[in-house]
Amino acid sequence: MKESRLMLVQYATAVAAVALVSVHLIMQGVIYPYATAISFNNILSVYRNGFYAIFLEALLVVVLVHGFNGVRIILNEFRQTKPWETWVDLGTVLAIVVTVAYGTRTVILAVFGGASG
Amino acid sequence: MKLVVQRFDPFVDAKPRMMEYAVPGRDGMTVLDALLYARDYLDHSMALRFSCRQASCGSCGMKINGRPRLACYTQVAELGGKKVVVQPMDNFAIIKDLVIDLESFFEKHRGVVPYLIRADSQEMEKPSAEYMMKPEELEKVLQFTYCIKCGLCTSSCPTVATDSKFPGPQALAQAYRYIADPRDEGGEKRIELLDDAHGVWRCHFAGSCSFVCPKGVDPALGIQLLKRHVMSGRPPRGGGEGAKVWAASVSAPPRK
Repeated sequence: MKESRLMLVQYATAVAAVALVSVHLIMQGVIYPYATAISFNNILSVYRNGFYAIFLEALLVVVLVHGFNGVRIILNEFRQTKPWETWVDLGTVLAIVVTVAYGTRTVILAVFGGASG
Repeated sequence: MKLVVQRFDPFVDAKPRMMEYAVPGRDGMTVLDALLYARDYLDHSMALRFSCRQASCGSCGMKINGRPRLACYTQVAELGGKKVVVQPMDNFAIIKDLVIDLESFFEKHRGVVPYLIRADSQEMEKPSAEYMMKPEELEKVLQFTYCIKCGLCTSSCPTVATDSKFPGPQALAQAYRYIADPRDEGGEKRIELLDDAHGVWRCHFAGSCSFVCPKGVDPALGIQLLKRHVMSGRPPRGGGEGAKVWAASVSAPPRK
């Protein structure tokens, strides 16, 4: 993928992350009192709200793509050899896939799993 | 005044050393004047590069009191204090003392194809008429034509310090200068060259390049404008408007 496309993704995820994280913080810190917002039962109920589950999944993807792509940029400035760039690119894709998969697993388990309050 | 100069000969010295010279100050004395006095009367072995003495050639770029400046364009009085510390510019290899190796700098400059490109190579080699610009078109690129290739911006750039493949502010600003020129038709070629993992996107807009430029050029602005064109994948007018302007100039009566 061209660097300009990757940077477009970086800028788009930055804007999306600002919006999503803001909503998340407002929900968890203002609408619900912080003490109860992080209780096990509240978190489970949040995940089981279909809209909020999708919201959290979107937050997960946006933040991880933005974060790992940012790390890729930093690492590419450390060293300028083709093998290094290839490994950094592969590592970035792998890190995004693994962490998004693991986070998605958490969302799915919370929504459909057997955990109960 | 006390002049402190960093001395280093990579073939002889293990590391740079600072040497002090007592130079008689006078009104209007520039740092270059002080260096030349020290070289002529106190230490003939000091190496420095200079030429025009009027901030036109860009030869005497060096780090003066911690900031990249032109030695001929910096008066000792404006620095305040009686001590002036002169070092070679950062981000360049040292040839000797204050003389730096500009080879990679000019290589990167050449890399952005810094000249007008026309689709018709025959016309490019032997123009049939004067290529004209409207005043408002000139306004967009004028400040970037003032670049004297002194290297001060490249010396101050934090990305150049870490990424050896990054073209640097000078080359990128020149790329914008030609891409934004309505007479040019090589914008897409340049955009392709710069849309790279070490290209235009590695500018993090620190702005130090614009801060140190002795000619009032704003390379940081040029780079941000360049990013817009690289993101869209096409130059401002794709050469079409430029060709039209050129065609109009061709049809105009020849100048006497």
